Amino acid sequence: MDTSVLKVSDLQKEIQKKLIIKGVSFDIRAGEIVGFLGPNGSGKTTTLRMLVGLSKPTAGNIEICGHSLKKEFVKAMANVGCIIEGPDLYDYMSGYRNLELLGSMSKGVTKKDIDEAVALVGMENRIHDKVAVYSMGMKQRIGLAQALIHKPKLLILDEPTNGLDPQGIHEFREIVKNLAREKNISVLVSSHLISEVQLMCDRVSIINDGRIIRSASIDDVLVTGEVVWILDDPKRAQSILRESFDLDPSIDGCHLRASVDSGMLSEINKTLIASGFDITYVENKKRTLEDLFLALTEKHTI
Amino acid sequence: MYKKIIWPLVIGSAFVLSLLFVSGFIVSIVISGNDDTAQTETEMDMEIPESEPAEDMPPDGASDILVLGDSIGFGVGDEENLGIGERYLNLLDDDSETGKTVTNISVPGFESSQLASLIESDEYSASISSAELIILSIGGNDLNNLNLEDTATLTLAFDETLNIYKENLTFILSEIRSINPDAQLAIIGLYNPYSDDAPQNAPFLLEWNHETRLIVNSDVGFAYIPTYELFDYHLDEYLSPDDFHPNGTGYQAIAEILFRILN
Amino acid sequence: MIALIRNEVMKMLWKKKMPLILGLLLIFVSLLSYGQNYAYERNIEQFEAESGTAAFNWEGLTTQRLSELEERSQNEFIPEEVRASIDREIEQLNYFIENDINPVTPTAAKFNVSFAEQGIILFIPLLIAILAADLVSNEFSRKTIKILLTRAVPRWKILLSKYIALLIMTTLLVFIIGLTTTLVSYLFFQEWGFSEPIVTGFTLFEGTLNSDSTILIPRYQYTLLIYSLVWFVSIIVASITLLISVIVDTSASAIGILMAALIGGQFLQFFLSDWELVKYFFVTNLDLTRYLTGSYQPVEGMSLNFSITILSVWAIGSIAISFIVFNRRDVLV
Repeated sequence: MDTSVLKVSDLQKEIQKKLIIKGVSFDIRAGEIVGFLGPNGSGKTTTLRMLVGLSKPTAGNIEICGHSLKKEFVKAMANVGCIIEGPDLYDYMSGYRNLELLGSMSKGVTKKDIDEAVALVGMENRIHDKVAVYSMGMKQRIGLAQALIHKPKLLILDEPTNGLDPQGIHEFREIVKNLAREKNISVLVSSHLISEVQLMCDRVSIINDGRIIRSASIDDVLVTGEVVWILDDPKRAQSILRESFDLDPSIDGCHLRASVDSGMLSEINKTLIASGFDITYVENKKRTLEDLFLALTEKHTI
Repeated sequence: MYKKIIWPLVIGSAFVLSLLFVSGFIVSIVISGNDDTAQTETEMDMEIPESEPAEDMPPDGASDILVLGDSIGFGVGDEENLGIGERYLNLLDDDSETGKTVTNISVPGFESSQLASLIESDEYSASISSAELIILSIGGNDLNNLNLEDTATLTLAFDETLNIYKENLTFILSEIRSINPDAQLAIIGLYNPYSDDAPQNAPFLLEWNHETRLIVNSDVGFAYIPTYELFDYHLDEYLSPDDFHPNGTGYQAIAEILFRILN
Repeated sequence: MIALIRNEVMKMLWKKKMPLILGLLLIFVSLLSYGQNYAYERNIEQFEAESGTAAFNWEGLTTQRLSELEERSQNEFIPEEVRASIDREIEQLNYFIENDINPVTPTAAKFNVSFAEQGIILFIPLLIAILAADLVSNEFSRKTIKILLTRAVPRWKILLSKYIALLIMTTLLVFIIGLTTTLVSYLFFQEWGFSEPIVTGFTLFEGTLNSDSTILIPRYQYTLLIYSLVWFVSIIVASITLLISVIVDTSASAIGILMAALIGGQFLQFFLSDWELVKYFFVTNLDLTRYLTGSYQPVEGMSLNFSITILSVWAIGSIAISFIVFNRRDVLV
């Protein structure tokens, strides 16, 4: 059995005779939070629009919970909740009425489901106010609630933290993480903000110019295996590491760097301390997504 | 609130109303019936829808005075239902007992084109050929229909209407002449029922009458009966309550001027 | 499906369109009925002043017309169908005299019919356009189309629910127009007049108005007939507006386009009435009520059945194109 909640294969989209999406493939398993990272204009939103049926792919397949989006639109979409480019709601109605209206469009959504979704996003107090008077953060919460009322297995969020303040971003992130953890909902989050993806996602797909250029778990992408020590005698440490651990450390001022398999790090440290070094700082150095992204995209443009 | 009260109300009433409208719609189609024969652009005098050109058939076409034309000829508005013909005859009879008869084959709402086709149809050839005097009133409806025109297009439309009218009138007169070379013809000119409300229309009416007079003057047996000045100063006195047709007094005045001119 | 329709009706109600339309209607109807009442009273006054008589004697005039007609009806030379038509008018006039009703008095029944007759080509379509224009375009301009189309509902169902909701609201609106005109004009005229008889059913036969087939019916039935035609026209206009609404992005341009079509169509009809193609344009055919009242045809060869067919073709075409466009359209807002 295929356990993928979302399976995208060789998706292409042509807009006005120009190929915008040039063959995108990836899949998402249950309970996974996947980041969809790319600069503005890289094709993130276009891809997401195709995933939720707002625009039709020129070529390629999309399967949601085993249902082809093209052939079984209703069955496929029953498993999807989404916010595409901002939470747009009927602002002449109250938040609650919005949810009621959208809920009635899916099968089996009860009043209880709506209340649960409202409680989940913490909007109980203002839910009966008109959407027009909501702040951006509240709209975003209602937006999330509308994506959740029909209990989807896949949540697709396009730039969900756009326009939110730091507090709002933090809360939103926590809500999404909880959803994935507790309800086993898969989440696809697009963003151009590296830090956001880093904090939220298990896996990341990096998209640029209509192609996915790297797709891996966040740890794989980030961990470089480089460790940095600051200690009193880098020279002696260098030679010890060379001899005992078969490494090739370099010295950079008072920093000692070496590529180390993370499993060995504690062993090395024990040895260093036993040898009488005064270690003031050790860091298992991670590459920032920024570095990675710049490296990847640069490579690509050249 | 919405789900329980407004929505059922909305859908229920919409359903009932739809049924009502659909049935009304079907009835409308049925009523307006067999209209695939519908043709040409024709506006009829709406106040008088009965306009089949077959009223007051002359007994075997033998009478002395024939009245042809529109509602003025017919005598609409005349309290005593006499019309120009009868009133003229009465004036004659006052002079001497003549024993003449009047036939009125006017049709209210007639335009010059309709009269022309009626004459062409030969339906009344007998009446025309036997008549001594033919009183003709036509053109009022041609002109009156221009009221619907916009001021911007009025002049243009007027010229067009006048040309059509002139053609028709020439045709009518020559046709009558060819059927009956001896009869005296009296053509009733137009008066202005709106002179109070729309004095700006007077030039049109005068031009119309002038053109009519030019055509009428082409034959010695034709007489033009002017009514414009007659009515202009006595509008209140001569018009019937519909503010368009003459009343009895008005018809009497026309008959008198007709009498003066012919005798 | 019912839930979808209910949602759409709810949206239309919540958008506060109805109060706007009702407000427009009330202002218009009040002005018109006040004006008509004023004109009527002035006419009577003027008549009294001119004729010098103390009171406007409609009875005299009606009786005169009646006796004239009776005389003609007895004329043995009158063809049977003409006599029938005269008899119908006699019947009508008799009713007025027996019930002591002045036939020219403005009544609520007359007003609402003449309002429908005048409004059917411009004012009522405008109201429908206000209702229908933002049906789809507003979802696009407010971007809410995204949350609507990402539900587990096929697109055609969404559009269909919108269309049915529109039909429901159109039906109610036509009823409201009838009700408002009647009630408001009653306030001014103090006269219902719904049981007065009226002659209808004219046909045009070989260029002349044929009254053979006319029948005499009470005014309330006639009102119903007229409003049924208004309803039909409204549905046609609603369908065409739906198409425009699907194609353009904002409701303002949707209303603009429809208004341009309506007014442009009137122009076309006015200037090019002898151009054969004009009669296939929907605007030329909107004025269905004239076929019941016996007014003239603007273009040769037009009849009620013809107009209904043309309008239906337009509406069905519009709906078909709407569905195709809506189904294929990529949502890029």
